[in-house]
Amino acid sequence: MTAATALKPAPAAAPRSGARLLVSTLERLGVDVVFGYPGGAIMPVYDALTGSGLKHILVRHEQGAAFAADAWARVTGKVGVCMATSGPGATNLITGIANAMMDSVPMVCITGNVATHLMGTDAFQEIDILGVTLPIVKHSWVVRDPADVPAVIEEAFHVARSGRPGPVLVDLPKDVQVGLTSEDFGFHYPNETTPLDHAAIAEAEQLIRAAERPLIYIGGGVKIAGAVQALRDFAGQTGIPSVSTLNALGSVRTDAPGFLGMLGMHGTKAANEAVQESDLLIVFGARFDDRATGKLNEFAPHAKVVHFDIDPAEIGKLRAVHVPVIGDLKAGIEALNARVAAAPLAIDSWFVHTTSNARRNAFRYDAPGEGVYAPALLNELSKTAGDRFVAACDVGQHQMWVAQHCEFSRPEAHLTSGGLGAMGYGLPAGLGAKMANPEAHVVTVSGDGSFMMNIQELATLRRYGVALKIVLLDNSSLGLVRQWQELFFAENYSEVDLSDNPDFVAVAQAFGIEAFMIDRRDQVTDAIARLLAAPGPCLMHVLIDPRENVWPLVPPGKSNTEMMHDTRFEGDM
Amino acid sequence: MTDTLQIQIDRADGSLQRLIGLVERRGFHIDAMSLSDEGAMRRVQLQVRGREEGRCTENLGRQIDKLIGATRVGFAPVPYACRDSVAA
Repeated sequence: MTAATALKPAPAAAPRSGARLLVSTLERLGVDVVFGYPGGAIMPVYDALTGSGLKHILVRHEQGAAFAADAWARVTGKVGVCMATSGPGATNLITGIANAMMDSVPMVCITGNVATHLMGTDAFQEIDILGVTLPIVKHSWVVRDPADVPAVIEEAFHVARSGRPGPVLVDLPKDVQVGLTSEDFGFHYPNETTPLDHAAIAEAEQLIRAAERPLIYIGGGVKIAGAVQALRDFAGQTGIPSVSTLNALGSVRTDAPGFLGMLGMHGTKAANEAVQESDLLIVFGARFDDRATGKLNEFAPHAKVVHFDIDPAEIGKLRAVHVPVIGDLKAGIEALNARVAAAPLAIDSWFVHTTSNARRNAFRYDAPGEGVYAPALLNELSKTAGDRFVAACDVGQHQMWVAQHCEFSRPEAHLTSGGLGAMGYGLPAGLGAKMANPEAHVVTVSGDGSFMMNIQELATLRRYGVALKIVLLDNSSLGLVRQWQELFFAENYSEVDLSDNPDFVAVAQAFGIEAFMIDRRDQVTDAIARLLAAPGPCLMHVLIDPRENVWPLVPPGKSNTEMMHDTRFEGDM
Repeated sequence: MTDTLQIQIDRADGSLQRLIGLVERRGFHIDAMSLSDEGAMRRVQLQVRGREEGRCTENLGRQIDKLIGATRVGFAPVPYACRDSVAA
C-alpha cells in the first residue's frame, strides 16, 4: 500500500462527536450524495446529517441504497456511499456489497452498530456485519474510538478506489458515534502509480507482431482504469478486431468497424468464432469468467495470451498467460500504442475474415408476428436515445437482449449486474445513475421478475422527482429460467409462471408515476418517443411473448463453439 | 500436495478471520495452523492443501497479498505461469 502522509492536525477545536466527524470527513472528501436508510444504531449519524452539505437520498430498502450507490459510482467514476443501521439494515446491504465486489465498483458502506460494550451479547439488532461481509468486501473496519473516525474514513475511500476498486465497510458502534473528541486528523493518500513493466510490454509487442490472428478481449478494467481512449487508439491503429465481456460493452463503440460483439454464453457467433480461431488473445482488464469462456479448456485453444491487469491475482488464475503486464491499464496500453505505432501489422485478411463473419451473422429484427419483439425494441430505443443513452439493466433475458441489441458509445452507458447477476439491480441502479447524470437518457430495462425485487424504489423516484425511464419487458414468467427448463430440463416448467403479476401500470400510477402499456410492434416507435419525452419518471409496460428465448446460447459447460441459434432465422443466414 | 504459508497479520478487527476465510473460500483445506505473537503484529503459519487437484498455492498467495494488514513472508516468488487452467 502507498504510504499515507499525515495531514497537519487541525487547531484544537471544541470536542465533536464521532458522528459529526464522520459527516465533516465525508464533506472534506468531496462526497455530495449518500444513499441510505436510518435506524436505531445509526441515529447519531442521521442527527449530524441535518444541516450538512451532504445530500442524503432516502431509499425504501437498504438494498436499493447499495445498488444506487454502485450505479452512481459506475457513472461518475467516484466512490459511491451508502449507509444503514445495524442488524437488518446492515444485512439488507449485503447483496449490493457483493454486487460491487464482483464488478470492482468503488463503494464505501457505513453501518451503525450497537455500542461496543454490547457487541458480542446478542443485543437488539446486533449483527457481526464485519464478519458477515468479510468475503465480499475489499476491506473493512470497526471503529472503536471517535478520534479514529477521520483516518478510517479516509483510508476507506483510498482502499475503495485504488488499484482494483471494490466495496469497503466501516462499522460504527453507537458509542463511537456519540463519543466526543477534539482530534480531527486525517491522512492524504497520493495516487498510486505502479512502474510500467517495459520489458513485458516489449514482449507483448513481439507476440502481437508475430501473430496472424490476434484478437482483443476487452474487460471491465478498461473503463475502470480510464483506458477507453487508449484502447480505442490501439484497436484503431493496429486494426486488431475486438470482443467484449458483458461489463465492458461500450469500451469500444459497439458500431466500431472491428468490434465483433460480446463473447460467451450469449455472445455473438462472430465473437465466439474469432476467439476460437485466434492465435493471440490480448486481454485488457478481464478475468476469464465462465460465462465468457464457456468450457475453459476448449476456450481459445490455439491462442497465446497477453494479459494486462492491475490485479496480479488475476494473472494465471484460470488460464495460463504467456506475457503478463501488471499495472495501470491506461499507462500500459499507451506504452503499447507507442510501440506498435512504429510499423503496421499485416493482418488485413484476418480483419476482413472476422468482420465479414460479423456482418453475415448480424442480428435480425424481422421476427415473424405482430407482437412486440423485445430485441428490436431495445435496438430502436438505444438508437433513438443516441449517445445520451444509459441502460440500467436488471437480470434475466432482458439483460442479455440489452447486451446484444443496444448500441453503446461508452462503457458508462451500460450498467449491469455482471458478476453477481443480481435481480433487483435495475431500478435502484437507474435511480443512482439518473441522479449522477441528469442530462442522460437513463432507462432501466427490467423484467417482470426482477422489477418486483426492488419495486419499492418507485417511491424514491417520486419523492425526488428523478426522471428515470423504465422499460418493463413482461413475459409473465421468469424468462431465463423458463428458457433453461425448456432446453435443458425437458420442458419441466417449475415455479417460473408469473401470470398473476399485478397490473404494473396501476401500480406505478399508485406510486404517482406516469405509466402506459403496449403490446403490438406497431406501437413501439411512438411509445419510445413518449417515454423519452416524459418530463418525470415514466414506466412503459411492454407485453411480450413468454416463449421468446435469448439466442444464441452456449449451453452451460459446453465449448463456445457449440452455439444454439434461433431456428426461425436458419437457412437464409 | 501440502504447502506451508507464513503470513504476518495485524491486530485489526477480523484480520485472522479474513485470512482463514480467504484460504478456505479459494478452495484449500487448512491441515495445520499456528499463531504467534510478534508485538504489534502476529505471525500465522498455515499448512494448506487444495481441495481438488490443480488448485494452485501460488495463486492463493497472490490473493493473500491483496489483503490489507497481511504480508506473506519467507516465500520465493514464482513466475506467473502457474498452470493451464482452473485455480484458486
